[in-house]
Amino acid sequence: MTSQIAPALMPLRVRGGVWWLLGAFLVAVMLVSLSTGNYQVPVNHVVGILVSSWWPVEVTWTPVEARVVELIRLPRVLIAALVGASLALAGAALQGALRNPLVGPQIVGVSSGAALGGVLALFLALGTAAVIGSAFVFGALAMLIAYSMARVSGNSSPLTLVLAGIVVSAFCSALVSLLTYLANPEDSLPTIVYWLMGSFATASFDKVWVVGSVLLLAGLPLVLMRFRINVLSLGDEEAQSLGIPVERTRWAVLALCTALVAASVSVSGVVDWVGLVIPHFARLLLGPDHRKVLPASMLMGAAYMVIIDTLARSLTSAEIPLGVLTAIVGAPIFAWLLRQSSRRGALHD
Amino acid sequence: MIEVTDLGYRHHARSPWVFKHHSLSLKKGEVGAIIGPNGRGKTTLLKALLGLIKPQQGSVTFAGLPAYVPQGTDTSFPYRVRDLVVMGRARTLGLFASPSRQDYRLADEAMARVGIEALANRRLTELSGGQRQLVLIARALASQCDILVLDEPTSALDYHNQNRVMAVLEQARNDGVTVLFTTHSPQHALAIADSVLLMFGPDEYRFGPCDEVLTDQQLARLYNIDIRTLPFEHNGQAHRAVVPVFGSMA
Amino acid sequence: MRMSLYTAALAATSLALCTSALAEQGAIDVLDQNGRRVLLDEPAQRVATIPMPAASMFTSVAGGVDRLAAMHPASKTALEDGILGEFYPDAAMIPSDIVGNGFMPNIESLLTVNPDLVLQWAHRGSDIIEPLEQAGLSVATLNYGTEEYAQGWIQLLGDVLGEEEKSQRMIQWRDQTLADIGSQLADVPEAEKPRTLYFLRFLSEYRVAGEGTYNDFYIDLAGGSNPAEGNNWLTIDAEQILNWDPEVILLNGFEAGLSPQDVYDNPLFADVSAVVNRRVYHVPLGGYRWDPPNQESPLMWMWLSSLLQPGQVDYDLRQEMRDAYQWIYGQTPSERQLNEILRIEHNQNAAGYEQFLNPALASQ
Repeated sequence: MTSQIAPALMPLRVRGGVWWLLGAFLVAVMLVSLSTGNYQVPVNHVVGILVSSWWPVEVTWTPVEARVVELIRLPRVLIAALVGASLALAGAALQGALRNPLVGPQIVGVSSGAALGGVLALFLALGTAAVIGSAFVFGALAMLIAYSMARVSGNSSPLTLVLAGIVVSAFCSALVSLLTYLANPEDSLPTIVYWLMGSFATASFDKVWVVGSVLLLAGLPLVLMRFRINVLSLGDEEAQSLGIPVERTRWAVLALCTALVAASVSVSGVVDWVGLVIPHFARLLLGPDHRKVLPASMLMGAAYMVIIDTLARSLTSAEIPLGVLTAIVGAPIFAWLLRQSSRRGALHD
Repeated sequence: MIEVTDLGYRHHARSPWVFKHHSLSLKKGEVGAIIGPNGRGKTTLLKALLGLIKPQQGSVTFAGLPAYVPQGTDTSFPYRVRDLVVMGRARTLGLFASPSRQDYRLADEAMARVGIEALANRRLTELSGGQRQLVLIARALASQCDILVLDEPTSALDYHNQNRVMAVLEQARNDGVTVLFTTHSPQHALAIADSVLLMFGPDEYRFGPCDEVLTDQQLARLYNIDIRTLPFEHNGQAHRAVVPVFGSMA
Repeated sequence: MRMSLYTAALAATSLALCTSALAEQGAIDVLDQNGRRVLLDEPAQRVATIPMPAASMFTSVAGGVDRLAAMHPASKTALEDGILGEFYPDAAMIPSDIVGNGFMPNIESLLTVNPDLVLQWAHRGSDIIEPLEQAGLSVATLNYGTEEYAQGWIQLLGDVLGEEEKSQRMIQWRDQTLADIGSQLADVPEAEKPRTLYFLRFLSEYRVAGEGTYNDFYIDLAGGSNPAEGNNWLTIDAEQILNWDPEVILLNGFEAGLSPQDVYDNPLFADVSAVVNRRVYHVPLGGYRWDPPNQESPLMWMWLSSLLQPGQVDYDLRQEMRDAYQWIYGQTPSERQLNEILRIEHNQNAAGYEQFLNPALASQ
């Protein structure tokens, strides 16, 4: 019966209700986040301020309230959503392309490479633009090195890639340690330590543009490659026998994921766990098909990150570092997910 | 049509040849079987002639599109059967494309051809070995291939499932598909193969029509055990049964 | 509350005095800030300083860098960048390779400079002290963060250097200034104390001084009130700044490239009282940064109370600085040097800063 109807339902529209639900949840989370903060702004004022950008409404709020919502919360919520979406998408795509549900964006060396780049720029006190640029370049460089290490006679196996990624990560982490060792404890060291823990506190619309445009330029092709990633996840020989150029496709996935992760790290520091945990959530909800997992991971990653950041900035009057929260929240969730998955016999719905 | 000439492969330049100077040829709509003991390189031969690994010697010509059915599939992501079968269409889809309605129609047809329509929405992990084998064959057929290359399609299957797979292969042959498969069972070769390739050693093989090649003497030499092929009749047709004499040494 | 602090400082001082009095003639026997006994046969001639602010504190008590054998690389940077680098160009020759990550001493480099006393942090665990003792070096440990500890440093340095007279004068100067400002501002009602927020970090994160910090202490002393709720250092978000709406903002002297313009130019803070009234100040950098406890703290208190309670206190800061530098360092700063210390370039357009400008130049 279902198999008769199914052909009519194209991949992204299957179970349309779920997509509406995920989308509505993200919007709701963002609205709640925009209304939450240490500075009291009534919800109706928040809505009015947001609406007033497109629609003339009576101004019932103070200029300070408008500034809080438009200049502090809005870029911060947007950047949290974009970074969450980027990291979760990259995680889901890498898990598929490397056919290993236990890898995250940090595994191919990108995170550590980008962290090294950012720390280097902070160490040299080069300013925000340099931190972003340097994180991006070093992230890409780390991935290229891991990839060329894993590449033997024109082919790279997923396992050697993961191992090469671990090697490159360890090397980059050592250099980060060296830089923190050399950093001036009164000047650059506290900045480096804080940046490494990850934060959206310095969110600005410039940074929104950086992650936003990378998500568009790298994320869109990645989502479109969703069926290729399905085929790739069967294994190299099988994928090749099904007629797709395995090496080139995997290279494309890696490059696009690198762009997403490097952009995220460059604006918000290292935020672990999101790329690992969220795709599992998506699979629990929608099954293993990457045609659904990739877009669902984006939506769920965005919502998750916004929730975490809202907690980080409003739980106490002081900021809680993001990396600390994602790990504290992410690790138990991941443990629960693993149990859940193994109880069902495999990592699927 | 498959034409393999002088094929040779070794893992790297200094290792011994897995096989060399192997040739075979099958016409359109013919069935070929490759038989050899464990570890002789049957799977390697299939991969080399499909180009999944690069042979150092020889040439392979396919007239038409080949499709490969591996021994099994082991994925960390248990897709639904229908989604797995439609991956047979990957070759025709661009980098950013997902299967269209037409691709799903071809997948449904392929599932119907091997009789697994009912499994369409099941997960691969929920299926028995026989069902999985049929799914993989359906995936190959969904690519609208002209040549079907199968690696031990009947190993680990009970008689019922062996029978289903054999029937599917026979039907593919009747539809004009050239079929080449490896097997441990000379009986299967006798049942549907037109030609057989026996792999005796790295540079020793025998290829020819079933009746000529599958003799007691050749089989005994291949497996180092006495093997008898006994004639019998079923529904007025002459058959041969392959019977190994366990406890004997050739 | 404040009084109990002074009493404690006095008690600590007199305790240290008693111990030295008990020691035999010519030998030095004092307690350091971990309560360890420090014994020296004669006043220290070659001292290595590991805590960053100790080098400049040492220089002030010793009246020069002749007896400074080695120091922390960050101390050296601060020394060279500040006024002391101009007062004592010889500081550039002093080695600074004696310490590694986390204040772990580099013993072999230390032995090379052959110090007769090493100053080390008291509150960062024994791991960084024991290697020094095992190498047979005399160690005196220092605590940080309160006026009591700062006076203890001066006392200790005076004792081990045989500069008791100088150290007593420095301590008296502190106590006297504290009492002086305290009495001048005793009648200021709570409502007229401007909300004053000190930023330890502004560029990479917003990190402010909470209760229990030294900055909280002198904001209170100088007639301000610290709006930050919570203990020690707090990382906050921009909204919290708007919430607290500081009337005065103090920017740290640590972050490279920071200036009040960074606050004024940020649209987020356009409505913050301190921005509206142009009361954002970059804390001066004299013989050391004025933000943490240092040998010139009384000048910091005069500077801050003059800004927070103009009309209530009456200091000619430039003259006070000339006088103090004369007896502390034996140097008279030039007008240019005074301007640099007071960061006139960054602060001159801020409200109330005209009082610190050179009257001769201002009248032109």
